[in-house]
Amino acid sequence: MIAYILRRIISVAPIALGVLLVTFLLFRVIGGNPAYRIAGKNATPTKITQISHARGYDLPYFLNFEKFPRQLFHAQFPRLAKNILRGNFGESLTSKIRVSQLLRDGVLPSLCVTTPLFFIELILAVGLALVAAYYRDTWIDRSLVVMAVMAMSVSSLVYIMVAQYWLASEWRLLPVWGFEGAQYLVLPVLIGTVAGTGGTLRFYRTVMLDEMYQDYVRTARAKGVSPAKILFSHVLRNALIPILTNVIVALPFLYTGSLLLESFFGIPGLGRLLVSAISNGDEDVIFAETFIGAVLFVLANTLTDIAYTWADPRIRLK
Amino acid sequence: MAAMIAGASASGAQLRDNTLYSVGADFKGFDPADSGDTVSAAMISRVYEGLLEYAYLDRPYRAEPRLAEALPEVSDDGLTYTFHLKKGIHFSDDPCFPSGKGREVTAEDFVYSFTRILNPKLESTGDWIFINHVAGAKEWVQAGNLTVKIPGFIAVDRYTLQIKLRQPYPQLIWVLTMPYAFVIPHEAVEYYGVEFRRHPVGTGPYVLKDWRFNYRVEFVKNPTFSGQTYPTTGEFDDRTAGLLEDAGKPLPVLDRIVDYEISEFYTVWQMFVGGQLASTGISKDYFEKVINPQFELSDVLKKRGVRLYKTPNMDLWYIAFNMKDPVVGDSTDPAMATKHRKLRQAFASAIDVPTYCAVIHNNRDTPANTILPPGVAGYTTQPYAYQFDRQRAKQLIAEAGYPNGKDTTGHPLRLTMISAGAGSTDARQQAEFFAEQLRAIGVDLVVQQLSFAEYLRREHDGEAQIVYAGWIIDYPDGQNFMQLLYGPNKAPGVNFCNYQNSEFDRLYEKVLTMQDCPERSALYAQMSDIAIADCPWALLTYSLSYGLFQPWFQNYKPHAFPYPNAKFYKALPH
Repeated sequence: MIAYILRRIISVAPIALGVLLVTFLLFRVIGGNPAYRIAGKNATPTKITQISHARGYDLPYFLNFEKFPRQLFHAQFPRLAKNILRGNFGESLTSKIRVSQLLRDGVLPSLCVTTPLFFIELILAVGLALVAAYYRDTWIDRSLVVMAVMAMSVSSLVYIMVAQYWLASEWRLLPVWGFEGAQYLVLPVLIGTVAGTGGTLRFYRTVMLDEMYQDYVRTARAKGVSPAKILFSHVLRNALIPILTNVIVALPFLYTGSLLLESFFGIPGLGRLLVSAISNGDEDVIFAETFIGAVLFVLANTLTDIAYTWADPRIRLK
Repeated sequence: MAAMIAGASASGAQLRDNTLYSVGADFKGFDPADSGDTVSAAMISRVYEGLLEYAYLDRPYRAEPRLAEALPEVSDDGLTYTFHLKKGIHFSDDPCFPSGKGREVTAEDFVYSFTRILNPKLESTGDWIFINHVAGAKEWVQAGNLTVKIPGFIAVDRYTLQIKLRQPYPQLIWVLTMPYAFVIPHEAVEYYGVEFRRHPVGTGPYVLKDWRFNYRVEFVKNPTFSGQTYPTTGEFDDRTAGLLEDAGKPLPVLDRIVDYEISEFYTVWQMFVGGQLASTGISKDYFEKVINPQFELSDVLKKRGVRLYKTPNMDLWYIAFNMKDPVVGDSTDPAMATKHRKLRQAFASAIDVPTYCAVIHNNRDTPANTILPPGVAGYTTQPYAYQFDRQRAKQLIAEAGYPNGKDTTGHPLRLTMISAGAGSTDARQQAEFFAEQLRAIGVDLVVQQLSFAEYLRREHDGEAQIVYAGWIIDYPDGQNFMQLLYGPNKAPGVNFCNYQNSEFDRLYEKVLTMQDCPERSALYAQMSDIAIADCPWALLTYSLSYGLFQPWFQNYKPHAFPYPNAKFYKALPH
């Protein structure tokens, strides 16, 4: 298993670099030389040349054949990859603040929203899925399914607009916008929960119902095991693998934050940072967030595989 | 939506102190060298100041001294400007000073600040205000030796500053009002290093209390701010508008300003109707809900006492033809040059600008008729020479050698235009509108929507055939627009369309050294006529800002360059 983990950890770098490459292609190659943007509207050609040179935007994109062989990799993407792998994420093109500083400042606000959202959604979805499975094909199950479908069919944007208008602006139960205390987190967490739980609940319900029809459940029932014990001791444990997959793969999003909720509710987290970076062409921020997101995603997948061996002893990682 | 507006509470948040809650977005930081966007310029102007500023209430716009004792003494040849500084102006208290107490501002501080924005390492977007005009500035930048002084900036003594110019530059007065030219202490730059833009140390009416990036900026009154009072005179209507109620009172009027960085207009709107924000703009999607067909405020908002201000932005939006392009550009062959000009004129006549204003801009923009926008000396009300006339456009395009828009092979003439705003719905709708207009005269217009950086690159490098462009004025002088058509400024200079007309250039060189006077305005109008006849640009619109203001937000007067005006604003208890 250790060899497997090592292999997976080693695979993080090429996968994350692949994601970085795609981002680089989109923002630098297609997006164009940022020096024109940095230089401003009255820029002289000399100034654009100076900025391009100082920041390395005048280098070839991938390989520098002019400097072959010693400085073949003296090019834009290899330099970017090298810096990022060393943990040097550069500075924001707009605010000139170090990206590492921006990331540090943004983590906590993001976690303030995503962590409660994650746990509430998990507990609610698993709990309701168990209820639905227990009362399968009854009005309780059907009502839960209908509510889940309704909740997931409505865009998050609609929830946000309705909640900001009625709950915040009209009835003044909660603040419209801001990040000053726990009461400011209620609306974003509530909306995130309502918008996100429906789909997860349906998934978990399906998983549990699949298990309910397995032979071991029938055997347990034949042996007279109580329905509650079957559900909690047998079904839940055997449904753990898909639940674990879903849960652990969601972990990186705790870090990356919610783009929509943070933007609408003024949470100064990493999701909002990314949205404003994209709209301003703030490359270094985009590269850093994408890279870190990719690394976390691969690590989460590895963690899921490891968790499988705990959930199901028959699984061996090779 | 109307129900949402109607239902919004009129009571608003209770004012606990004399505070203004305002909105901005994408604030970059407190470095005057990087004050090119309106939000940063406004924030920086809360804490920093310069030699001159606009007289708040006066129109037409007029510069008046701020940290200078008086307007500068200008030498007869127009090449030397001498400023005498006010004595006793201090930087705000800050740990960057040895004693923690802000020291007095001297002429050397201006030399330092002006030199700093020319430092290539700083990548300031404001170096253009001096680089081609101040004696020795360009050479200093090229030499790259930052230890020597720029000959054009001289601290004659502690309170006397001289600026020596390469050639007369009457616009110097205007550029010195811009945040780029604000004074900073070298101690703060040295003490804070890269963190300088998070720790402003200025002479302005406010000091920074707290800044959370991408969220909130809070300012409180600068206890050491001195010597400025609310203006006692203004325009004729200002007294009846209540704008002189605080005449003579010390500034700033407000104790505290909190600027929220809110990116979504829906949220801004909810906070505005809830009384949590003093003012807001109006997004395109909300326009028709808030403004009635007579372009006045809806009754619901009017009843709440909300005020509407329409402010001309002093800008021009246009379509520029690359005059070096073999199809739409100029030609050394007079017959070809005429045909190409007719093609450009056909293009300009084919666009139904009034419908464009209505469909794309909620009619809040107005069709442009000259190179200069209203409010700039030289603007005339004469009708645009290529007002929408599809029959005329068809005739012109036939005369240009493309009958029914078809080239010699019988295919529709294909033209390519670039615009910024890749992925934006507005840019796409606009592109579709232009393509449709050209299709009506048989021309196939392909619009490429690019990222802003790539758009600028193609524009600067003269690679585009046709460019959708705009220019927002930097200072109230027609030269700011005319430079865009001056031959020697061709791409990669600011004359991206590579227009050249010897008579236009001659007049430009003449007006460049003239102070503001009726004769200069007449020359600007003449230059506009020349450019319109040659049609390097198809003129589209002048834009108008619609702003909504709470009844308790007072002392506001629309201004095209409003950055330092927060010190005049007042928030009544509500």
